[in-house]
Amino acid sequence: MKKISVKDILVPTVALLVFCLVATALLAGTNMITKDKIAQNAVETEKASRMVVLPEGKEFGEVKALDSGLTVCEAKNAEGKTAGYVFTSGAKGYGGTVLVMVGIDAEGTVTGIEILSHAETPGLGANATKDSFKERFIGKSGELTVDKNSNDGQNVQAITAATITSKAVTSAVNAAIAEFENIKGGAENG
Amino acid sequence: MAKEFAAIFLTAILTQNFVLAKFLGICPFLGVSKKLNTAVGMSAAVIFVMGLATAVCYPINKFLLEKNGLEYLQTIVFILVIAALVQLVEIILKKYIPSLYNALGIYLPLITTNCAVLGVVILNIDEGYNFAQSMFNSIGAGFGFMLAMVMFAGVRSRLESCDIPKFMQGLPVTLVAASLVAVSFLGFTGIVENIFG
Amino acid sequence: MAEKKNLVKELTKGFVAENPVLRLVLGTCPTLAVTTSVSSAIGMGLAAMIVLVCSNVVISALRKVIPDKVRIPAYIVIIASFVTIVQMVVKAFVPALDAALGVYLPLIVVNCIILGRAEAYASKNPVLASAIDGVGMGIGFTAALFLMATIREVFGAGTFMVGIKDLLSVFGDVSFNGFSVPFLNENPMLVFILPPGGFFVYGILMACANKLAESKGKPRAELRGCEACPMAQTCSLNKKEKEEVAANG
Repeated sequence: MKKISVKDILVPTVALLVFCLVATALLAGTNMITKDKIAQNAVETEKASRMVVLPEGKEFGEVKALDSGLTVCEAKNAEGKTAGYVFTSGAKGYGGTVLVMVGIDAEGTVTGIEILSHAETPGLGANATKDSFKERFIGKSGELTVDKNSNDGQNVQAITAATITSKAVTSAVNAAIAEFENIKGGAENG
Repeated sequence: MAKEFAAIFLTAILTQNFVLAKFLGICPFLGVSKKLNTAVGMSAAVIFVMGLATAVCYPINKFLLEKNGLEYLQTIVFILVIAALVQLVEIILKKYIPSLYNALGIYLPLITTNCAVLGVVILNIDEGYNFAQSMFNSIGAGFGFMLAMVMFAGVRSRLESCDIPKFMQGLPVTLVAASLVAVSFLGFTGIVENIFG
Repeated sequence: MAEKKNLVKELTKGFVAENPVLRLVLGTCPTLAVTTSVSSAIGMGLAAMIVLVCSNVVISALRKVIPDKVRIPAYIVIIASFVTIVQMVVKAFVPALDAALGVYLPLIVVNCIILGRAEAYASKNPVLASAIDGVGMGIGFTAALFLMATIREVFGAGTFMVGIKDLLSVFGDVSFNGFSVPFLNENPMLVFILPPGGFFVYGILMACANKLAESKGKPRAELRGCEACPMAQTCSLNKKEKEEVAANG
């Protein structure tokens, strides 16, 4: 059997080490260039979806986590008054958690919703991300229920063949409305 | 608590099956599923390495990378850790537990470049799982892989004795069969969420 | 002149004759996973191509420096670096693509096409030829993904190239954002974009490719998972099978 010399072990080790060092340096460089842009993208996307769900909001405050697991962020309108709140709220759908961003104005009316993430079936539950479904929540307030046929009053019309997803989104919206009542009640009392 | 872990575990096996729903680890799924015993051996090795890789990569990510703002090194660190880990396990098994080496060892080198192992480690981090959740998810993913492999080995042994049109022979018919197995797994969607939800 | 002809051959072999997806059966995971929409398929193809060309060039340039014993780890380091760079650039400039590809973007690292070409080609050939091999294989990979995604998106969702706007946004404002296919849009065959549809379309496409190859007298596609796999030499499964064959034969 051939004897393994020190050189046989040292040369590959050093070579690999050099490769790793160069690679790390390269990555660190790229990271420096792209880091700010990536962070900025994340902030912008979040802001953009907040503007969609609460069009009146111009300035958004800090995001606070609530005990119930929701997050809330206060929105001010152009005059600096409270325009409403943006909640993110999750509920169990068909394929996993459906994360919904809900905009509620100062009167407690839903101004818009946005599906942030979901794992619903493409073509069925995933239709919840379409505007035609999201619009069904606009202008609603109070406790909402899912209905197969009508979209009147407290009813939200379900997506065809995706009742569980519709129920998940609705319960996420309901949770946000309930939190809104809490915040409003707290403000009035205190 | 237990309910949550059971949900993660079952989701990883049934609804989010790594092979049939997430398309990770297709190469061994098509390549090593010809015989039942190789399918079982390969999957056992995958379960073992997935669990081990998660157990090692999670603390590395949490205490080394995240703490120092080095998240961008995740991919390169994980793949090297997995590769080194697999080599190490192979050497240790060969030396100290030869019986286990004979059962699992031969599949180990194949696993280094298996996207299911790297995939599960990255997915655990993307999902924001804590250590226990990550372990359950990884082991569940491994068992899901095993379930798919064993089922598919059964299907393939039937295929061997079938009269298949010439142009479909070999891989095409294997893929179509995999498609049908995947259809059966579609039926699980929603089950886990509704048992535990 | 002869050399030039050879380079053209190196480029075009990846398109059809040695198409990585349909003929060499490499990179099956991303092929099945990202072909639910044409735009993510194109994005995946391009991202993999960039990594493939870069890693081929670097590995080829360093082929005499890399010690043979540690060549696989060295390749993995090089490939992983390029994948991470691509990942960061995509996150920064095409965030929509990052969202569409998800975990499959970092998983380009373990895409067998890239490691396979590094081991089979770049480690033995000069830089220029390796670069061209990378471009050719990358185009072949992208073309196969495009074909599969077209079938799946048109039948499964009734649309074509929806979401391409986000991909093209790098080059300025583009108003084209795909179109919907009449009839299929109202009645999509969902199964095509669900996981089973992926396996099915891949199987049928491969059957067509086999038929085509047969008519030209070429061998059918076999899973060369083991031969093309860079770990083949160290893999004892390979040895065991050979031993079994030897024992039985």
